Amino acid sequence: MRWRVVGKVLLPVVSIALLLLLWEVAVIVSHVQSYIVPRPLASIQAVTGNWGNLSPLVYGIIRETIFGFLGGAVLGFCFGVVMSKVGWVQKLLYPQLILSQAVPVIAIAFPLVAILGFNSIRPIIAIVIWTVFFPVTVNVFDGLAHVDQDLLNLAKVYGASKWRTFWLIEVPASVSPLFSGLKIGATYAITGAFIGELVSPQGSSLAQTVNTANGHDSPATVFGLTMLLAVIGVTFFLAVTWAEVLATPWQRRPVARRSRRHRIATPRNDQ
Amino acid sequence: MESPALLDLSAVAKTFGDTVVLSPTDLAIAEGSFVSIVGPSGCGKSTLFNIIAGLLAPDAGDVRLEGRSVIGATGHVGYMLQKDLLVPWCTVEDNITMAARLTRKVTAADRDEARHIAERYGLGDYLNHYPQALSGGMRQRVAFMRTLVTHHQLLLLDEPFGALDAQTRLDMQLWLLDVWRETGRTVLFITHDVDESIFLSDRILVMSPRPGRIVADLENTLARPREIDVLTDPTFVDLKSQVLHLLYGGRR
Repeated sequence: MRWRVVGKVLLPVVSIALLLLLWEVAVIVSHVQSYIVPRPLASIQAVTGNWGNLSPLVYGIIRETIFGFLGGAVLGFCFGVVMSKVGWVQKLLYPQLILSQAVPVIAIAFPLVAILGFNSIRPIIAIVIWTVFFPVTVNVFDGLAHVDQDLLNLAKVYGASKWRTFWLIEVPASVSPLFSGLKIGATYAITGAFIGELVSPQGSSLAQTVNTANGHDSPATVFGLTMLLAVIGVTFFLAVTWAEVLATPWQRRPVARRSRRHRIATPRNDQ
Repeated sequence: MESPALLDLSAVAKTFGDTVVLSPTDLAIAEGSFVSIVGPSGCGKSTLFNIIAGLLAPDAGDVRLEGRSVIGATGHVGYMLQKDLLVPWCTVEDNITMAARLTRKVTAADRDEARHIAERYGLGDYLNHYPQALSGGMRQRVAFMRTLVTHHQLLLLDEPFGALDAQTRLDMQLWLLDVWRETGRTVLFITHDVDESIFLSDRILVMSPRPGRIVADLENTLARPREIDVLTDPTFVDLKSQVLHLLYGGRR
């Protein structure tokens, strides 16, 4: 048990620490100029030292990521469900959705800003939604298509209504595929938010700060913020993974928690 | 049949494309009886079940249950397959009440019944378990309880023990006979296993493919309750050789 915790938590941490150490040593040994590649410690300090100015921007991009992610998740789920239930909608919608992903987001980003407003976070959230919904749709659609046909027949033999079959069998069966899509979406979301901020001319944003730092020979800030974005992205992924654990208890525990419903525990014979 | 038939099929037929999966078939099943159907794959036995259950409409003929035609209808039989089809995200209790949950609001009475039946048949300690924590035999028991609490008189069991090992299968057969005796249900039971069909049933229907049809309707006079030793009874062996002959002809 203890060894499993070591393997799950300690090893990834050690692996990342080693990467940073390798980076630090490589920069020192190779005498690369700090305006080309800064040392990781200096990069981190560039962010922590300016935290007062940066923190609202960091919270800003986190907010955009979360809103966009939630929007993309809901939209993606709805698309997946509607496409699997209504044949002609699937035929109409699927090519469009694939097309939407074939278009480079960065190319469509400028027109989106022009359409949705220059001084607003709406285009940024729209771009996050754009990057997140697709893997969710594809996974939910496939998940619903692969619900055990015998199980659906059994429900039919019982005389079940389509609506109840959908809620009691098809929706729960699509939870695992949904989370597969959400995990992919979670890693895309922060990139989407960054691209959105980059093309949106609204006042100050984290992406604009990185852009400015690039132009002002402040690579320590660039690297530091990039590391921070990576941390946010990973945290996001872990949060979704954790949500999946909570949402699918049957995959991990043999016995359901007894909390739900007013139930009197059956007497147990634990001799 | 002296007693009025619970289930009555008259000239029921089904064709898929050019294949006659079921040529016109008549069949009457008496209430409370245990009838097995044996036959190779493709003989139409599962098609027959699907027609009775309402999943398939026959091309011709009528299916009457307690005198009413049930063609095009569902919700009138208990139905169980080789796959247990337990829902992994539901506990044993919620799986047992699945039919109720799929058709209406589950009542306290439904849950009480599920608990009672699970305790009665040895799974009382597992009501809160998820199915994947159970063995194959236990899962089939839960699937059968789910079938029982639908309260339909007629149970269609399609090779329910086909995936179990020989030992567990024998346990399940004995258990099924107990439950059947206690509950007085009518069972139609598909199997590949000739021993199983003779051990369990009052009647054995032998089916044959191309075209799918019933080629023999044998009565089993072995006394009940049956224990394991009937497997070597001369009547049993005689019946078995008849069925094997019908299934495999003169092949040796």
